[in-house]
Amino acid sequence: MTLEVKNLTKIFDNKKVLDNVSFKVENGQTLGVVGFSGSGKSTLLKIISGILEKDSGEIILPNNSEVAMAFQYSALFDFLDVYDNIAFPLVERKEFRGKYSKDEITKIVSQKLQMVGLEGIEEKFPSELSGGMQKRVGFARAIVTNPNVILYDEPTSGLDPVTSTMIEDYIVRLKRELNASCVVVTHQLSTIRRAVDYVIMLYQGKIVFDGKVEDFLNNKNEYARQFVTASIQGPMNIIGK
Amino acid sequence: MFELNKTFTYQRFVLLWGQIEEFLILIGNLGKDFVDVIKRILSLEINLNETIEQSKRFAYDSLPISLTIVSMTSAIIAMQLAPELARQGGADYTGMLSALVMVRELAAVMSAFAIISMVGASFASEIASMAVTEQISAMKVLKVDPIAYLFVPRFIAGALFMPVVFIVSGFCGLVCAGLVSNWCADLSLLNYFTSLWHGLYIRDIFIALLKSSFFGATIALISSSCGYSAHGGAKEVGLATTKAVVSSFLAIAMWDFIFASVFYL
Repeated sequence: MTLEVKNLTKIFDNKKVLDNVSFKVENGQTLGVVGFSGSGKSTLLKIISGILEKDSGEIILPNNSEVAMAFQYSALFDFLDVYDNIAFPLVERKEFRGKYSKDEITKIVSQKLQMVGLEGIEEKFPSELSGGMQKRVGFARAIVTNPNVILYDEPTSGLDPVTSTMIEDYIVRLKRELNASCVVVTHQLSTIRRAVDYVIMLYQGKIVFDGKVEDFLNNKNEYARQFVTASIQGPMNIIGK
Repeated sequence: MFELNKTFTYQRFVLLWGQIEEFLILIGNLGKDFVDVIKRILSLEINLNETIEQSKRFAYDSLPISLTIVSMTSAIIAMQLAPELARQGGADYTGMLSALVMVRELAAVMSAFAIISMVGASFASEIASMAVTEQISAMKVLKVDPIAYLFVPRFIAGALFMPVVFIVSGFCGLVCAGLVSNWCADLSLLNYFTSLWHGLYIRDIFIALLKSSFFGATIALISSSCGYSAHGGAKEVGLATTKAVVSSFLAIAMWDFIFASVFYL
């Protein structure tokens, strides 16, 4: 399923957080969105997922599309255990109410947990899980409705390198198994290398790089070079930010 | 000196304007949330399990504190009233006056205050912490309506079970007042309860039940709304809770004045 964003603009307090942003994510591809903090990456995901309203522009998705989002800090419901967290949309969403029996829900939950490499933790509460496990439960909850578009907001932030690698592998695996289009907002170069097909870079709400991962990493663009080399010198003024 | 005063006045004006703006935003949010809740109720978007859960919190979990506050208040009133009435030769009116004061005003208002501090504060902080940790955003992405899931069950629980809390705490309050009158002014319990019936009117009881229902719904709506509009970090959770508690107290006082004006003026 193709996700297309056309001339998307969002203004907060007279400041353009997103300024005419356009891109396309083809079916089965993963787009990486990079940029410094405050460049509009998370706002972009929130608008695509429907959390925020756009001021202008278009988000083009086929009618029967299902958009899911994995949040930066997992956003698991802390008053529910893992089972109820994952089953939440199947139980509470209006159109699914009464559609699935208890046994079917149990089967779906354990299948999704299996897909993210977590089994037998259904009765645990989010506070009993490590950061990496919480992220994976967040993934399982996001994919429980078999989405066509999956959005990841900084999926590896705050995790150790090994757990990050595991999370990156799951991003690739879930995309393959669900044949979904994915958008990954990240700061991590390892995530771009391992889990992303092409990259856009945002600076002050505008796209300043749009291209392949190799081109991004090989310093073919001055903005990308500054980001990859983590340099203070460059076209992006980060000192007065 | 003049410059200093001018700056000071300007700063006070800005602060005052900020508070007025915040109040207007709160009123706007409450109005919008109220309309949304009523829409969901009319279209029967009612989550039964959540409603039962929230009703339990309203009616059962808050009962000990409501009972204690109403019973203590009525005992204190009886302690002040009964000896004085006995001295003036009106001891037989103690029951009647207690019933009037408790049923018309104190049982409902004191229970509401207890529920604000016990349940309202917890509703606000719970929903605010969900808001700042993106749990409400997650709910929206999962296409679960946060108004139907969070607001409606609390609103219904408040409207239906606040009157129950009023009945139980009012009854306990009247019994306590009788016992205290007996202890302080040697008023016989038989006399107290006989006189009590003279102060109990069906109309008053119905008005008090209606008032309690309004109180309950108001507490639930304000607490949920203040929590829902929180954004930022942990500090915002505290601010939202404080705002919910203060606004609920003010709203209860306002409702009480409106009810008294409409039904007893």
